[in-house]
Amino acid sequence: MNMTSCNPMIEDYFFQLEAKMTDLPAADRQEFTRELRAHVLDRLEQVAVASEADCRAALKALGTPDEIARQYRLERIMNRSAWRLSPLPVLRTLLRWTVTGVQGYMVFMVAFTGYAFAACFYIAALLKPIFPHNVGFFVGKDGLNLADWPLPHGVAVLDAYFIPIVIVLGYLFTVGTTLLIRSLMRHFGKLKQKI
Amino acid sequence: MPLLRNTAKSEASEKWEAQLRKGCLELAILASLWGQRLYGLEILRLLEENSNLVLAEGTVYPILGRLKDEGLLQSEWVEADAGHPRKYYWLTAAGRQKVVSMAHFWSSFATNLNQLLKPVLNGRGRS
Repeated sequence: MNMTSCNPMIEDYFFQLEAKMTDLPAADRQEFTRELRAHVLDRLEQVAVASEADCRAALKALGTPDEIARQYRLERIMNRSAWRLSPLPVLRTLLRWTVTGVQGYMVFMVAFTGYAFAACFYIAALLKPIFPHNVGFFVGKDGLNLADWPLPHGVAVLDAYFIPIVIVLGYLFTVGTTLLIRSLMRHFGKLKQKI
Repeated sequence: MPLLRNTAKSEASEKWEAQLRKGCLELAILASLWGQRLYGLEILRLLEENSNLVLAEGTVYPILGRLKDEGLLQSEWVEADAGHPRKYYWLTAAGRQKVVSMAHFWSSFATNLNQLLKPVLNGRGRS
C-alpha cells in the first residue's frame, strides 16, 4: 500500500478532529484518535495503491470530524459521568458545558448550590471538635444555625449526634447533587442529540 | 405547499429511522462480538453485512468506548505480523449477560410488533 498521496488529507482530517476535542483529557483523546487512524489504515489497506479518491472515500465513510467529536462527547456525557457517584468526573464534564450555553450555566448553578451545602456540613463536622460550644444545631428565634461566634444564639439540640448527622447530611447532599446534575445533563444531552 | 409538506414528512421519517438505528446499534455491536474477538473494522463489516445500522463509521468507536467503560466489553491493542496494531474487543461476563437479556427483549418486542404490523403490510382493512 502506498499512502504518500493520502497522508496530507489524513493528517488534515485528524488535525480538525483533535481541534474539536481539545477540551477532553489528552489520554482519552489520543486513544480514540489512534483507533480511528487504525480504522482508516485498515480501510486503505484494501487497495494496493491508495489514491486520493480512495482516501477521500475512507474519510467520508468515517464521518465528519464534527459528527464524530459530537458523538464522542455525547457518549461521555450520557455515560462516563453517569455511572459514577464521584462528583469529579461529573464536574469536569459540567465545567466544559458551562461555557457552552445557558443550559450548562443553569446546571452549574444547581451543582454549585448543592455542593456548597454539602461542603458546609463537612466543614461543620470538622469544626465541631475544635469549637464545641460554637458549632452545633442551635434553634433560636431566627431559625436554625450551624455555627455562631462569639456565643451561639438559641438552644443546642442533638449535640451528641451532631458530627454523624452533618456527615450524613453532607454525603446526602453530595450524592443527591451529583445524581440531580447527572440526570439534568443526560436530559439536556438527549435534547442536544435531537437538535 | 404539498411539496413542503412532503419534505417535512420525509424529514420526520428520516429522524425516526435515525433514532431507531441508534437505538439498535448497541445491541448489534454487542451481538457481533458474541463468541469472538473483533477489531473495529471487522465489527463494522459484520454490521454492514447483516444490517443497515451504521451511517457514519466513526460513530461506532465512541459507543465501543462507552460499552467498555460500562464493563460490558474488554479491549486490547494487538500488534499485527504485518501492518499496524489493531484494538480488539470482546464481551465480558457482564456483556454476555446483557446481550442475552437484550436479545430476548428484542425478540419478543419484534414478534409482538410484527403481529401488529401484519395487517398494515398486507394492506387489509384500509379505511
